[in-house]
Amino acid sequence: MLDSIQSSSRKEKTTILEVSNLEVDRSNSMVIEHASFTINQGDYVGVVGPNGGGKTTLILALLNILPRTKGSIRLFGQDIESFSKWEKVAYVPQHAINFDPHFPLSVRELVALGRVNRSNLGRSLKREDWEAVDEVLDFMGISDVAQKRIGQLSGGQKQRVFVAKALVRKPEIILLDEPTVGVDAETLEKFYKKLSDLNVEKGITILLVTHDLTAVFCRMSKVMCVNRLINVSEITAELKPEEILRQAYGEHFHFVFHRHQCKRVFKDE
Amino acid sequence: MNELIDIFRLFGFQFFQNALLGGIIAALACAWVGLFLILRKEAMIGDGIAHTAFGGIALGLFLGINPIWTALLVSVLAVLGISYMRRKGLAQSDSAIAVMLAVGFSAGLIIISLAGGFNVELFSFLFGSILTIDQTDLIIVSILGISTIIVLGIFYKELLSITFDEESARLMGIPVRLLSLAFNLLVAITIVLSIKVIGVILVVALLVLPALSALQLNLSFKGTTLAAICFGVVSMSIGILLSAIYNVATSGVIVFTAAAIFLFTATYRKLE
Repeated sequence: MLDSIQSSSRKEKTTILEVSNLEVDRSNSMVIEHASFTINQGDYVGVVGPNGGGKTTLILALLNILPRTKGSIRLFGQDIESFSKWEKVAYVPQHAINFDPHFPLSVRELVALGRVNRSNLGRSLKREDWEAVDEVLDFMGISDVAQKRIGQLSGGQKQRVFVAKALVRKPEIILLDEPTVGVDAETLEKFYKKLSDLNVEKGITILLVTHDLTAVFCRMSKVMCVNRLINVSEITAELKPEEILRQAYGEHFHFVFHRHQCKRVFKDE
Repeated sequence: MNELIDIFRLFGFQFFQNALLGGIIAALACAWVGLFLILRKEAMIGDGIAHTAFGGIALGLFLGINPIWTALLVSVLAVLGISYMRRKGLAQSDSAIAVMLAVGFSAGLIIISLAGGFNVELFSFLFGSILTIDQTDLIIVSILGISTIIVLGIFYKELLSITFDEESARLMGIPVRLLSLAFNLLVAITIVLSIKVIGVILVVALLVLPALSALQLNLSFKGTTLAAICFGVVSMSIGILLSAIYNVATSGVIVFTAAAIFLFTATYRKLE
């Protein structure tokens, strides 16, 4: 079955994230400058750029974890400072799978932590919470390891568990920061398939920070190049990846991309 | 046979009932709090607060009020001091603990020298004297211990979330700073309620050993919590029983029993 990006065109385009003239400093040095872009419902965005270019800083600023120097961020139409519906937003951090392997937590318990938030502070998880946990374990294909300790899982299984933890709160947007580092090709393929399913079947907006440029142009609907400045382009049949990527990686950057190897249908084809 | 009858007769004595009940409550609270401490890699905060509490005990004895209350006050101040130093970047966690430990302990020494020394009662707080727990002590231990267990029971899933991944917990709207501070106050309360049971010097063993033994079993979080509590209560009960029978230092036997359980579970893990 062909992967597609038709989800973005299938629905009315509602703006989920609106960034205007964003500037972020870290250690007194400007990391993000004059960033303005919008992300719509159903977008599947690959966030690319060189190391140190500001990808993680951008994600943390979008989540209001890092303070910004200038500009505004609106999530679901609400200013980030007063935004309260964080259950709509899920985040898988850069080094999520590098946890203490001896931490005494089963897969089911870890995924259930995704249901713990301010709204149920001090209250036990209800039956519907555990049903949501089992449902997402099933969707991510990890029901068979539900009772295993998280330290006993393979790298690919760990990734799916952390995505499951992010999904269990039924978010409308999910931000993943380099979740595919150190994963073998076969596991990677399955992981991307799951993300495509989430985007197409569940209509979840995805922002994926990655160095896998082929995956971005084969699977995603938009590419966001980050290297202090930010440029967002829609991925179409006419788009020339190398030209776009040079905005972030420099004039001498070469990217060999074989469009025919992508099992995708561009919406303008 | 006669020894067995003697053991059963022990349960009929008020002092033994008090010791067992107070000890079990303290062991339960210590094991649960200790598991979180180990997972947060903050086991030494237990030792630091316990030694700081020594200053509070000396102050209580000097002023002629129940040392448990002054120890509680000093321990809470120590927790707030450690938290402040960390938050303001004045010192890392271990350095902040070291500062509080030294200040609290030396304050105790100064008070003792000002008072011209104390009687044997000070030693009962340093090394514990569970078999001398009276009704008042038992009521204080029960109130503090049960309050700690209830608060942990209410917020354990939030504390687990913070312990595992603080950044994600913050994103989910969990009040990380407030709950971390509340947890450290629970640590202070747990240590103070255990001082009469096992003493300032050895209280860290009651915090660390049962949880560490449970962690060897590779269980889920729920399983590990239950195992830690079980090991804590068993160590306490066997320790009290053996010390009463053989008339040896109770806190020493409790720690040795807990250490034996740790040795057993660690061996089991190696052989598995």
